[in-house]
Amino acid sequence: MNPVEILGKIIEISHSNLEANSRISAILNIISQEMGFEEVIVFTYEKDKRLTSSYMNRKSTLFKIFSAYRCHIGEGIIGSVAQKRMPQSFTKRDVPLRLGCLFYPELDDHLERFKSFLFQPITDDSFLYGVLFLASASKELIQDHEKILTSIIAREIGGVLQVHKLHVSSKRKINELATLSELGKLLTSHVELPLLFQTIGLIVTKATEATFFTIRLEHKFLLNGPERFSYGDVEPFIKDYILKLENEVWIQKKTLSIRNIMPVLPEMLNGYAIYSTPIISRDGVIGTVTICGTKNRMGFTFEEDGQGLINNIANYITNGVENTILTSKLRELIKELNKAQKRAIEQEKLKSLGEMTANIAHEIKNPLVVIGGFANRLLKKAKLTHGESRYAEIIVKEVARLESILNVVLRFAKEDESAPCKPCNINACLDEIVYLFNADPGWEKVQIEKEYDCNLPPVVCDIEQVKQVIINIMLNAYEAMFGEGKIHIKTGRCEKEPDRFLTISITDTGGGIDPAIIDNIFNPFFTTKEKGTGLGLAISNKIINNLRGKIEIINKVGQGATFSVYLPLKNGDYKEELI
Amino acid sequence: MKGTKILVVDDEENIRLLYKEELEEEGYDVELASNGLEAFEKAKENDFDLIVMDIKMPVMDGIQALNEIKKVKKDQPIILCSAYGEFKQDFSSWVSDAYVVKSADTDELKRTIKDLLNVK
Repeated sequence: MNPVEILGKIIEISHSNLEANSRISAILNIISQEMGFEEVIVFTYEKDKRLTSSYMNRKSTLFKIFSAYRCHIGEGIIGSVAQKRMPQSFTKRDVPLRLGCLFYPELDDHLERFKSFLFQPITDDSFLYGVLFLASASKELIQDHEKILTSIIAREIGGVLQVHKLHVSSKRKINELATLSELGKLLTSHVELPLLFQTIGLIVTKATEATFFTIRLEHKFLLNGPERFSYGDVEPFIKDYILKLENEVWIQKKTLSIRNIMPVLPEMLNGYAIYSTPIISRDGVIGTVTICGTKNRMGFTFEEDGQGLINNIANYITNGVENTILTSKLRELIKELNKAQKRAIEQEKLKSLGEMTANIAHEIKNPLVVIGGFANRLLKKAKLTHGESRYAEIIVKEVARLESILNVVLRFAKEDESAPCKPCNINACLDEIVYLFNADPGWEKVQIEKEYDCNLPPVVCDIEQVKQVIINIMLNAYEAMFGEGKIHIKTGRCEKEPDRFLTISITDTGGGIDPAIIDNIFNPFFTTKEKGTGLGLAISNKIINNLRGKIEIINKVGQGATFSVYLPLKNGDYKEELI
Repeated sequence: MKGTKILVVDDEENIRLLYKEELEEEGYDVELASNGLEAFEKAKENDFDLIVMDIKMPVMDGIQALNEIKKVKKDQPIILCSAYGEFKQDFSSWVSDAYVVKSADTDELKRTIKDLLNVK
């Protein structure tokens, strides 16, 4: 082939649809066969400013030797051709030993065979892509037309390499974008944190071909979850290094490689790449994302571009974590709101119910007084027969019962602000009540146990009202046990910030409350007793609510119920007591 | 006890009747009024040892009547007697000498009357 044919063939190949690797190899083979060079090798210029022997003609023997060492730019002839971007040619006589690079000792046995050498820089107007190396065993001297032809070919190879590079980097970018879009989709969904992190791990390790991915978060952001989420596995000794790296990242607040914190890597770590990056939210560093893999795996992207990728991932995760935290906070708030709403509706219901009841009670009261009053008068008449006086008696008794119900109803309906609140000793108050019950013969078969906290501070309340509540609970317990069993009274403190409460817990052995009705027991007019008004617990609850306390029930079906009354303790009272 | 004059004020006829009988049985002279205004007129013209006054009444309610009477006769003993306990908290009822919640059982009312008359 004449030079024009060669060039035509090469241009044809370089513009074909073959893969870049095959195109370059084909070009190199044509140079070798048609121009009489036994060695045609392309060194590519890499990001770390070193030259790698990447492509060769089929018959090449030197390629293997060049593969053993990647020379730096400026190093040896190859390095200096790349640096100066000027071609160089040598004959057997003037070629430097080992082509000017000491790290090719094996060249000593092989250079002898060749008579001439040519080095062409592969460049376009701005970029250096590498060096084309040619050696001939037959040509004494390389002719000028050959130099011109190879320089044109080198430019052509440069074009192929450029396109290839763009192709690879765009592929990488697409991969990265795909990963990030997958992450984005995931993070805008409302999955719970643990599942979120696990899926992130899956996506990231798949995209980067990493073997291990771990997210470490500050504990308070996890709402009681674990502190670390990991995906994949890694040898235990590497975990120690990961921990070290994470701590450093936490301090420096930037992406770091294991190389950044350990200039001299232990031999065990050779072949591993570890990157860690901080998750930074408005509150500062809230965690780290760390990724670990073996370097020599194909497509393992973060050796070069990994920092950018992992940064992006961390940013995404930051947003996701913040969103998730906000969402869960929001959920809590909504729950609170719903509760408050329910309470408000309940109160409104009670209020209107209260007003209605009060009106009815008022209307009934006067006729009742008349009926009862005259029945009383009737009863006092001496002339009544035994039967008649019994009837009158029944009327009087029933009226008295109705009146007492009305009084309870009216007290419930109207805010009763009777006695002012004073500091009271709860244990003493309970003792009084227990004394009363113990004196009652009906309570003979009830064993009352006391378990007092002797260091209780006084609590500010209307003690008569609290007594009423306690008595009410005790009477309920009595009825639940059918007058036979054990009642345990315990006092103590509950100091859950920000509230501090004094607690009175009353436990019975009455078999507990039917779960079907437990939601109703504080509702007014709800009763399970034949003679009950259904107001006992409703009023008790109201009294304790007015004192800004609460009543809680622990219900053990088959055993018994515990009613716990919480009375708020104020800091001031506590201090007073200490003085 | 004879000669002790008590004015019972209530808008409900049956209640008036009940109190009249109960108190007369105790030996008091009982006069009646059916609203606050009537009570005020009677209290102005007569000297009662005690007035038992209902609160919720037409024309003039018991609390208003109480205050009007006290303006004219500062030392006139008056017992407020209402079906409702809540007026106890109403400060305008505080000028009364006692407060009794109306009940079929008139013992508390009788006891209160006795106490007030004894103090006097």
